Amino acid sequence: MNLNINLKAENTYDAIVVGSGISGGWAAKELTEKGLKVLMLERGMNIEHIKDYDGAMKNPWDIKHAGRLTEEMKRTHPVQKRDYPYNEVTEKWWVNDLECPYTEVKRFDWYRGFHVGGKSLMWGRQSYRFGDLNFEENAKDGYGSDWPIRYKDLSAWYDYVEKFAGISGQNEGLQEILPDGQFLPPMDLNIVEKSVKESIKQKWGNERLLTIGRVANLTVPHNGRGNCQYRNLCSRGCPFGAYFSTQSSTLPAAVETGNLTLRPYSIVNHIIYDKDTKKAKGVAVIDALTNKTMEFYAKIVFVNGSTLGTTFILLNSTSEAHPNGLGNGSGQLGHNLMDHHFRCGADGDFDGFEKYYTYGRRANGIYVPRFRNVGKDKRDYLRGFGYQGGASRQNWQKDVAELAFGTEFKEKMTTPGAWRMGMGGFGEMLPYYENRVYIDQTKKDKWGQPVLAIDCEYKENEKKMRQDMMNDAAEMLEAAGAKNIRTYDNGCHPGMAIHEMGTARMGKDPKTSVLNEWNQMHEVKNVFVTDGACMPSIGCQNPSLTFMALTARAADHAVNELKKGNL
Amino acid sequence: MDRREALRSVAILLGTAISAGTTDMLFSSYTIPESEKNAVTFTADQLKTLTEIADVIIPTTKSSGGAKAAGVGKFIPMMINDCYTAKQQQSFYNGLNAFEARAKKTYKKSFALIPLVERKKMLTVLRQETLDQKANKVPEMVDITYFFTVVRDLTSLGYFSSEIGCTKAREYVAIPGSYDGAYPLKPGQKSWAT
Repeated sequence: MNLNINLKAENTYDAIVVGSGISGGWAAKELTEKGLKVLMLERGMNIEHIKDYDGAMKNPWDIKHAGRLTEEMKRTHPVQKRDYPYNEVTEKWWVNDLECPYTEVKRFDWYRGFHVGGKSLMWGRQSYRFGDLNFEENAKDGYGSDWPIRYKDLSAWYDYVEKFAGISGQNEGLQEILPDGQFLPPMDLNIVEKSVKESIKQKWGNERLLTIGRVANLTVPHNGRGNCQYRNLCSRGCPFGAYFSTQSSTLPAAVETGNLTLRPYSIVNHIIYDKDTKKAKGVAVIDALTNKTMEFYAKIVFVNGSTLGTTFILLNSTSEAHPNGLGNGSGQLGHNLMDHHFRCGADGDFDGFEKYYTYGRRANGIYVPRFRNVGKDKRDYLRGFGYQGGASRQNWQKDVAELAFGTEFKEKMTTPGAWRMGMGGFGEMLPYYENRVYIDQTKKDKWGQPVLAIDCEYKENEKKMRQDMMNDAAEMLEAAGAKNIRTYDNGCHPGMAIHEMGTARMGKDPKTSVLNEWNQMHEVKNVFVTDGACMPSIGCQNPSLTFMALTARAADHAVNELKKGNL
Repeated sequence: MDRREALRSVAILLGTAISAGTTDMLFSSYTIPESEKNAVTFTADQLKTLTEIADVIIPTTKSSGGAKAAGVGKFIPMMINDCYTAKQQQSFYNGLNAFEARAKKTYKKSFALIPLVERKKMLTVLRQETLDQKANKVPEMVDITYFFTVVRDLTSLGYFSSEIGCTKAREYVAIPGSYDGAYPLKPGQKSWAT
């Protein structure tokens, strides 16, 4: 009896944060800084800042297979191998798919990293605010549920997280579409990008705009972290701490408070519900190394396990009071899965800039904010897309005759050739109820847990939008004087953008949503979900900055409610 | 994720530095689930032949050593063993043997021992045959043309990721420290290695 009580005391915290990626790191930072004793649970291994970035300082010739995948890597990573992020250098940071299978009712590329820092280590770092255009569109066109908040509710929190994380970028005054922010100095556009920017301005005036990407890379030293060295090897981990990650930013802040306990190799299997208090009392954990199960207890639980990781935990947390998953009285849990669609756009060659080259490898590109279905523009589809891309000077490889070899081949491959600029669209996907995940009990993962089944597809609206994504890019390149313009659609499957969102949406009405305006479960008030799962719609912007702002806001609310005795 | 990397890979596919044929092969290999390492073993003589073939594909020039100096001769068999399916390894191996047999038939010597001008001639013929094979699809030519496509691609990949390829044939700056998007092109400026 005493032993149990002691064990319980030892395993009791003020707050538990499930997951250590972008949103989990923020939750841990905010809650510890507000004085709470926090346990952060991470299902995978620990990765120490700088020390464990094995590939960070490797030269090209230090990489055994020149970055290509071995047959063994393909065998153990049948999903991760489908696209380029999984490569020889960052191999350890992507899951072994054989250990954690899932069911693809339709093709869904699920890219996962199980380790401290999660995808904050490998992310693309593009950081854009959502504007009122995004917050209002569900209500206007009737797809999905209305966001329970508007831009004014989040703008101060965007300020707050940008100031800490360090986002470089250019303010452009596009308040509705892409609000300005608290930016570090922008990176430079190169000479071709500047020319294209000017041409777009001349032809479209204020309707279209090309700007430098807003990116979580430091252009000047910031909060004790070094600035970007223009190596463009971010996804290997940055030895200068020059981009935002849990390791470089939120984790040191949380550790400094003395209030954080971090436990790696801790798979949260479910949230423990107390039917008497109608609250969560803690979480049940499987130790990933020993397979032992254990429980941890807290007054509040932040679930930040990545969109589908979080939803798996909630769906797997069944009880008499919550037979279909925790807080799922609405029946919306697992539904409305979304991802951006991309791999579609245009590129072209630019003459007249032969005297110029680039120095340094800018870990950033251009951004063209959404202009479709904005203002008076009306298309035969809903919502819109933005462009990312950039110009660079290639070698002369395209002048090389097919299968050529010898001295001339070598010369062409080592001499700066034509400038080429590419623009790839990132399109919004509508929330569809039938795009969903659910638990598949017929399969088990390495730890004996059931797995997720994913049933998700793009529909007509997304397909129609892709026409514009190609044509508008070609049109802008043409206006800028590009030659050899080529449009492309390389096809896209949900999951590929690694912007999966939805499945536990926010909303005003408990009957139609899982979370309230504070990312708090309508039905279980001390459980908060602030990762991508909470999103009622996804805009066309890269979403991580919004997760950061929502997390900081929710943590503030949670602590206030705790203090008031409401949790 | 680095989107620019995605765009760049698209751009690379456009170029003929990596042939369309090899792209198909790379992607088709993605479906093989079993462990396939070391389906074939290369002899010392075969390594010599591969080394000399690579050095014709990327020779020493005024600026820099060629594929042989860059160690591509060892890179190719390692890549074949680690990154190709058993079936592909066997096809490459058969193609290498068929090519070597041609040298022995014509010159009574290994490819590695014939004069450079004859090596170039042999590879020029094989290149044309590989181009023709796309339309002709002669069954007996499958292995030898596959061999040429792969040996050329691996030579290029291995060379331009080698220290000589990066620092002598191209220019390499490990830590640029800054970005200049309008950097004046100097006379004789080489491409950046990345």
